[in-house]
Amino acid sequence: MSARLIATTRAQVSVIEAGAGAPLVYLHGFADVHACMADLQPFHHALAKKRRLIAIALPGVNGSEELEDGTGVDDVLFRLLETIDALDLGAFDLVGHCAGGWFAAELAVRHPDRVKSLTLIGATGLFVSGQLIGDIFMQAQPERGVDYKTLRAMLFSSADHPIALEHYPDIRGDIDTEVRRYQMLRFGSFVGFRPPYFYNRSLIDRLYRARMPTRVIWGEKDGMVPLAHAEAYAKNLPGAGGKPVIIKGAGHAVHLEAPEAVAAAIAELLVGA
Amino acid sequence: MKPVELYCWHFMSYPYLPKDFDEKYDTGWVTVPNELWDAERSRGLLREYTDQLVYASEIGFDGMVLNEHHQNIYGLMPSPNIIAAALAHATRRGKIVVLGNLLPLHMNPLRVAEEYAMLDNMSDGRLVAGFAPGSGPETFNYDAPSAPSRDQFWEAVDLIREAWTRPGPFAYEGKHFPLRYVNPWPQPTQRPHPPIWIPAGRSKGTLRQIAKHGYSYFLSSRSHGSATAKSQQLFEQTLAEYGQKYEPHRMGILMSVVVGETDEEAREQSREGIWYFLRNCLKGHQRREGRQLTYGPGVPYIPSEEWRDFLATTDPTTPLLGDTEDWDDLQRSQSIIVGSPDTVYERIVAILESAPIGNLLMQFHLGNMPFDFTRKSMKLFAEQVAPRLREASQKIYAKRFPHLADAPAMEVVK
Repeated sequence: MSARLIATTRAQVSVIEAGAGAPLVYLHGFADVHACMADLQPFHHALAKKRRLIAIALPGVNGSEELEDGTGVDDVLFRLLETIDALDLGAFDLVGHCAGGWFAAELAVRHPDRVKSLTLIGATGLFVSGQLIGDIFMQAQPERGVDYKTLRAMLFSSADHPIALEHYPDIRGDIDTEVRRYQMLRFGSFVGFRPPYFYNRSLIDRLYRARMPTRVIWGEKDGMVPLAHAEAYAKNLPGAGGKPVIIKGAGHAVHLEAPEAVAAAIAELLVGA
Repeated sequence: MKPVELYCWHFMSYPYLPKDFDEKYDTGWVTVPNELWDAERSRGLLREYTDQLVYASEIGFDGMVLNEHHQNIYGLMPSPNIIAAALAHATRRGKIVVLGNLLPLHMNPLRVAEEYAMLDNMSDGRLVAGFAPGSGPETFNYDAPSAPSRDQFWEAVDLIREAWTRPGPFAYEGKHFPLRYVNPWPQPTQRPHPPIWIPAGRSKGTLRQIAKHGYSYFLSSRSHGSATAKSQQLFEQTLAEYGQKYEPHRMGILMSVVVGETDEEAREQSREGIWYFLRNCLKGHQRREGRQLTYGPGVPYIPSEEWRDFLATTDPTTPLLGDTEDWDDLQRSQSIIVGSPDTVYERIVAILESAPIGNLLMQFHLGNMPFDFTRKSMKLFAEQVAPRLREASQKIYAKRFPHLADAPAMEVVK
């Protein structure tokens, strides 16, 4: 595993790489590498057994340069494209969690020729009437100064899940971790605080363009992105087989809670070199 | 030497909450259910609050202060400009300080330039134009995006100042608020423009903006002590960076004041109102209990490195003003000054001696304090505290800033 800063045409971008072989680009969410944890987690290592995994830190997060004020999703996508160009990746497998899943879907509909396979895990990005994506900003405001119970409940299957308690404890924790979490919220506030709240109403009608092999994977107890979003993605992405893979008992951070099951669901996509 | 200016600030809190509010609800802000609004009991409430400010003008306060809050029980004034219009019409003297319009929450800052210009005309040049970016609760109320809101804010202030000073029509090339035609009518009565006040904490970047443009600094803190003196010194240093000398009237602070005939009467009459204010109105804003929305990782408007400093220098379990337990605790925070005219005078003079600030913005009505006692407290202040404070302040300023002693004294309105 190696973490490094790479220079794109316009900015420094932080990436963590592991494994070897054909490239797999990983775009993180909130409870994830870069945005909370400094290092790759068991799920990412499982992917790295099959591919050269490249986890790109979103703008402003974990060493990546922040975008300018007034940023929209388009600027985020171009930052990702510039990073992929700088790494000279050609075609690649693409996996994204939460907001990272949204950006993955946006890239896939724009550049279907570059994306060999697409995996969306608890992805935001769609507007589904009556099924609002949860307000992570409100939940990130602790109760009594340090109590993150409701944030843990949003991101994990339960507020008491050991992984949740490890990374979102009810104390002022390790400052580097707190700053990483803050950076991801700050980045998120550029693209998800005001409407559209981490979604793009135009995306659903563009999904037909992403014809590559696809998996839509959700935790059954996702407290941030309702299951109806999984159904909508699976129905509209031609390569998804019409149905999401639902992992029983898991929450929004399904890839942290059930790394083997999620990796196994993706494994069939990662055939060949 | 110009004496201290004494303003009456009204927040217009909701006074009819159920007795068990604190037990049942986790916040007084943003998500506090508006089913609690009692329309029948609230008849005449905004008129009474406005009348209290008119009364302040009549009994000799230097001005009336309003501000903008949304969807909460702390301040029933989502549009302070509406109350300011009523005051402009009902009074003939005293400044009208709107502190301020929350610019990132306004679709178009040109509208603020227009409304403020109207208020300045309606009040015959008595407007003080405050601009604020809003804090956590307002961010949630209007979905004002956190990180870009600071940048939007300064661009909006710039647009408004230009709208008042640059001959129109002109095109404004803003990033957030580009406009093809900027040409507001009417223009303000005060030329080149009404005084501009900016509420701020101790961010060096904000103080630099205030200094650079010649605005006045209102310290947004309810508690006073060494931190207030430090803010004053920091502002003085920042002004020096821009070749300017500190003058007490470039800065203002907020405090709450309750005056009774005796210390005992002041406490007796204000006890319920003060604790209603601390426990209910500050819940969600300046209280650890419940979910505090004002500051925190969910409203990430400061850059990450500033957040790192904040984490390193603060303790998230430190009690806030709303956690105040008793009178002794309250006395220490120097936020709500309660007592006889002598007590109140001495305590405010002590604050001025440690931080020579020229504008005292004072809240007299707290929570569900009885209206007649609020007026009595204001009157005791105006008659028995204000004259002495004005006199003492001139001595304090002259001692600290001898270069100002030669400046002509402003007329003291009795």
